Amino acid sequence: MANMKNKKRMETFDIASNAIIVLFAVLNLFPLYWLFTSSLKNSSDVVKMPPDWWPSTVTFSNYVDIFRDQPALRWAFNSLYVSGISTILVIILGAMAAYAFSKIHFKGRNIIYIIFVSSLMIPKEIMIVPLFRIIQDFGMVNSYSGMIWPNVAAAFGVFLLKGFFDTTPDALREAARIDGAGEWKIFTRIMLPIVKPGIGALFILNFVQVWNDYLWQLVVGQEKNMKTLMVGTATLMQDLNPNFAYKMAGATVAAIPMLVIFLLFQRYFTSGMTAGAVKE
Amino acid sequence: MRMLRNNTVKENITGYLFILPQMIVFLAFLVYPILEGMRLSLYRINYQNEKFVGLDNYMTLFHDPVFFKALFNTVIFVIFIVILTVGFALFVASAVFDKNAKYVSFIRGSYYIPVMVSMVVMSMVWSFLLNPANGLISFLARDSGLGNINLLGNTKTVLPIIIFVTFATNVGQAIILYIAAMIGVPKDLFEAAEIDGANRWQVIRKILIPSVQPSTVYITIINIIAVLKIFVVIQLLTGGGPNNSSVTLMYYLYNNAFKYNQLGTASAVGVIMFIITLLLSVPQLRTMLKAK
Repeated sequence: MANMKNKKRMETFDIASNAIIVLFAVLNLFPLYWLFTSSLKNSSDVVKMPPDWWPSTVTFSNYVDIFRDQPALRWAFNSLYVSGISTILVIILGAMAAYAFSKIHFKGRNIIYIIFVSSLMIPKEIMIVPLFRIIQDFGMVNSYSGMIWPNVAAAFGVFLLKGFFDTTPDALREAARIDGAGEWKIFTRIMLPIVKPGIGALFILNFVQVWNDYLWQLVVGQEKNMKTLMVGTATLMQDLNPNFAYKMAGATVAAIPMLVIFLLFQRYFTSGMTAGAVKE
Repeated sequence: MRMLRNNTVKENITGYLFILPQMIVFLAFLVYPILEGMRLSLYRINYQNEKFVGLDNYMTLFHDPVFFKALFNTVIFVIFIVILTVGFALFVASAVFDKNAKYVSFIRGSYYIPVMVSMVVMSMVWSFLLNPANGLISFLARDSGLGNINLLGNTKTVLPIIIFVTFATNVGQAIILYIAAMIGVPKDLFEAAEIDGANRWQVIRKILIPSVQPSTVYITIINIIAVLKIFVVIQLLTGGGPNNSSVTLMYYLYNNAFKYNQLGTASAVGVIMFIITLLLSVPQLRTMLKAK
């Protein structure tokens, strides 16, 4: 490990850099501190000048108001449902296709794979007009399926999981075939358990991505009860209630679930993101 | 011989069946919308009425100063945000990657948390902080004798503020990728450099930065594409204002489609953005396909 060497003689340049980095890291987290403490203030304290760096009286009334005036729980459920189902579909369809691209020698598999991967970089938002018309034709406006299906179209799951299938030995499949196992059985019983870490990383990455998605959900979920947490929370900015503490409480509610997920699954983020990136 | 051919046929069918579900969704919700978007961009659309107008929608765009403002702003955002992100992430990662694991994960976490809590939440906080009447930043400016400031209401400051907010919120992802790449650089390279008496700055410049070049390409491209579709921060912080000075392509597209009901024009913007995205992603696709 290189760090043992560096411990004995850290250069001034290195010390200065790290000092700046820590300072910036703290500054970068300050808006979240301000968000949280503001949400605990009452409506007059939150706009008081000079401000209280810590609320002089802590109140939870803004949170009570959010859950009373807004269908915040429903929004949270919508987000959970849309992110969860999207992710499960991405995993099932992605794993099947990735397995085929990695292990089954069918005609044209390289060219089809290239077409799939080429789509990775195209954000669905660019095609929002035709996509919305398709959803309209299917009668999927204000529905969960309208929000979900476009998330499954991009081949991110295929790309990420193929990398994991590629590392499994071909001999496993051959051996299982000689034993008389069918392709589906090989896929579900032998291969899927091996690529579990890849599925874990894909689950977290995709779930968070859909959870934090905004524009598409804004367009599809037009009724108040069909909004997701992000879209619903953003409407608080235009809310007639002028109380900033109330808006900040809403934003805090929207922030907490992903914060918890990150703190619990930090290592999956690193492994998942780097699996999606290029290998050195 | 015959058995062999039977096996190939079976292998083909199995392969196609395995990719079929993903293929259907891919065609219905990605390929078809792209083609349909190209078609719509040549039509004037009024609810269910479509009238072929050739390149009229594109002509409308090229005569609209707001479109050029949106294009210009989007390019400015892409250039500045990507340079800041890559530069700062390289700086952070190269300084921390060889420190102890607890410290690395603290740095990684602090910069990644804003990414996790989302652009929506961060935009809401920044909008409060920057509020001219009762935001903390406006108060601090008054307190230190700068007078009343309205950073989001001023055409000179609104772009730098959006650049900063977007950069500060999203840089964590690049930092995570760089740290991972740098930890993977073979240790003997550093040891050799040390024997040669290289200092830290030389090691970073001559070994570290060239070694993580594939990550730099990847980070640059995913960030270009992410900034190209920048929307949330515009909608929640400025609404494109003041006086259209912070409008972006995505925001312009959205307004045309869902506020002014100009679906043909909006589709034309989409097609232009699609072409830009495709051109930008070619180098990345090449490395991704080569990596296999």
